Amino acid sequence: MNAQKVISGFFIILAMTLNFGFVYGDINNFAHHSPYELFAAIVVNFIATVLKLGDKTQLGSVLLATSLVADIQLIASAIVWAVSLYVANHGIASSAQVIVSLASGALLANIVSVILFMGDTLKSKR
Amino acid sequence: MHSNNILWIVIRRMRTPLLVIIITFSISILGLVLIPGIDNNGHIYHMNFLDAFYFVTFMASTIGFGEIPYEFTYAQRLWVLFSIYISVIGWFYAIGALVTLIQDKKLISELKIAKFSKKIKNLKEYFVIILGYNHTTKDLIQRLSADNKRIVVIDKNQEKIDELELENFIPEVYAISANIDSPDTLRLAGIAKRNCKAIIVLFDNDFKNTKIALLARLLNQKINIIVKSSTKEQTEHLKNLGIKSIIDPFNLVANRFFLAISAPNLWFLEMLIFGHKLDIKDYEALPKGKYIICGYGRMGKALRESLDKANIECSFIDLKSAAHKAKKNSAIFGDAQDYKELVKAGVKNAVAIIAATKDDLINLTILRAAKKINPDIYTIGRENTIDDITIFNSAKIDRVYILEEIISEHVHRLVSMPLAYRFLEELHKKSNDWGADLTKSLKSMTNEDIELFEVRIVKKEAYALTKYLKNGGSINLGLLARSLGDRSKRSKIVFLMVKNRKEEVTLLPDDNYEVKVSDRLLVASTQEAREDFELIINNDNELYYILTGKELRFGIYKFFDKIAKKGDK
Repeated sequence: MNAQKVISGFFIILAMTLNFGFVYGDINNFAHHSPYELFAAIVVNFIATVLKLGDKTQLGSVLLATSLVADIQLIASAIVWAVSLYVANHGIASSAQVIVSLASGALLANIVSVILFMGDTLKSKR
Repeated sequence: MHSNNILWIVIRRMRTPLLVIIITFSISILGLVLIPGIDNNGHIYHMNFLDAFYFVTFMASTIGFGEIPYEFTYAQRLWVLFSIYISVIGWFYAIGALVTLIQDKKLISELKIAKFSKKIKNLKEYFVIILGYNHTTKDLIQRLSADNKRIVVIDKNQEKIDELELENFIPEVYAISANIDSPDTLRLAGIAKRNCKAIIVLFDNDFKNTKIALLARLLNQKINIIVKSSTKEQTEHLKNLGIKSIIDPFNLVANRFFLAISAPNLWFLEMLIFGHKLDIKDYEALPKGKYIICGYGRMGKALRESLDKANIECSFIDLKSAAHKAKKNSAIFGDAQDYKELVKAGVKNAVAIIAATKDDLINLTILRAAKKINPDIYTIGRENTIDDITIFNSAKIDRVYILEEIISEHVHRLVSMPLAYRFLEELHKKSNDWGADLTKSLKSMTNEDIELFEVRIVKKEAYALTKYLKNGGSINLGLLARSLGDRSKRSKIVFLMVKNRKEEVTLLPDDNYEVKVSDRLLVASTQEAREDFELIINNDNELYYILTGKELRFGIYKFFDKIAKKGDK
């Protein structure tokens, strides 16, 4: 068992599951989407990104790229949230669809990342 | 490739600090959001993520704008207290890591490599690579810099490179410390570049020299490799590799010595090629008679060969500097036993003594001892490092052969004036009488210092002449040697050699030689004559004057000429 593999695998998969948890639910009903879950998804995504840093292989670079995509999408959705709630002051309901769809984009990137990660693990003989 | 390395070093070092920051920040933010506070109206509220993130950011960086949006409750303060400790520590840890990273030796060296390779990449002029920075190459760099040549230096030792950078050579010499015999380093120094003209390898270790020469040959087929070799076997070996410029210092000294003793006029010309002063004193002529050589190493053997070739009697004292030092426990020659040895070798009736050991101090003391026994003896010393020059000067030795200087002189000529070097090779095939004629004509021409220079008849170096020749004109050397002040007179200029497009050389071409485009000329002249000559070949008007004896009229002058003609009618 490789401790590093456990840690990075844990965070990569957790990033995906948290992201899914946030996105899951009616897109028009904001009660289905918890802000805490978005926060957790962002933090875990950041951690996953940092863990992927420094791998010089081809696969490592692509993994890093997927993580960066997810980060950007999640940050964008958080920014939309903050702006619509505190800056524009028109309530969350009108931007709910935008926030959730941005997060779903991040989910796709996270899924790609997990698939690549699994593929690499299956290929490894040790 | 190198900038990538820098990125990887930074990323790898910053991983942990980044993780620490992310985790401490997120814990603090989450706590602030979850713990209920009380607003101004006494209602319970929950801090939102934006406020929490804002608060934690200025808290962790110790900016501290205060408690927002409302004054905190005790529960919140307890949490903030805890957060301060974890996030401030995390933040400082990250900054500390960044600072150590900047001082990281590996990172610094990668940054230097990246800077160096960028400089080499942007270098558009011709340049030469010199391996190793020592007395010889320092002298060489000074000579080449004076000719405005661009130089790249690699040395294994960073201290040497620092020393070089303090010298402030102009134009800038690019230098880096790296492993010398690795192909990566040579490539980094630009050996594969088209404008890299030569690589100069002058280490004391023949084996190392050959290895690098071979490597350089493989990396660039066209490059001129100038390599030092101190034995005949090694020279042979290098020749088989197809390397033409081989510097064998002992051979060079022996050659020069042979010329000095058997053909003083050729020797005089050789010294002229190397830019020495021309007024030769009486004591500089080598006497004929019995010679004594002290030290029978590579140098001693080479000298013996030239003495044999010149039919001069000589005897030996087989003295090895290392063995001598071990035996006598001192670096000085000259106890009673040593004197006896000198007398036995016949110092009393010899005309000259050569001290040719590897140790400068022993050489000096040998000559002193010989002078004590026979005050009239002519002393010749081998000086191994340029550094000892002041000692040798004050010791009043009649002739000193400085190995490092001779190497540097030869390499300098090879790089900056290949035609002069070729002339030198031709010179060695000639007789003393041939040399006497040339020497006489040079001496009768002028008392001033003679300058030596090379010109190639191409647009860049001889604008007007090339244009004229390309338009079908023809001109011979006699015309080109005319004085600009008065066309009927000849300037103080001698054409030593011409090399044409087919690489054929003509020694001392006569005045009827027709100059062709892309000929290369080796010229000896006074400074004034050189200026004249350069004007003639570059300036249309001056060339016209030399060809016709008339001034070329242009623009408004032509108009005046017309009026003048009309007036004449």
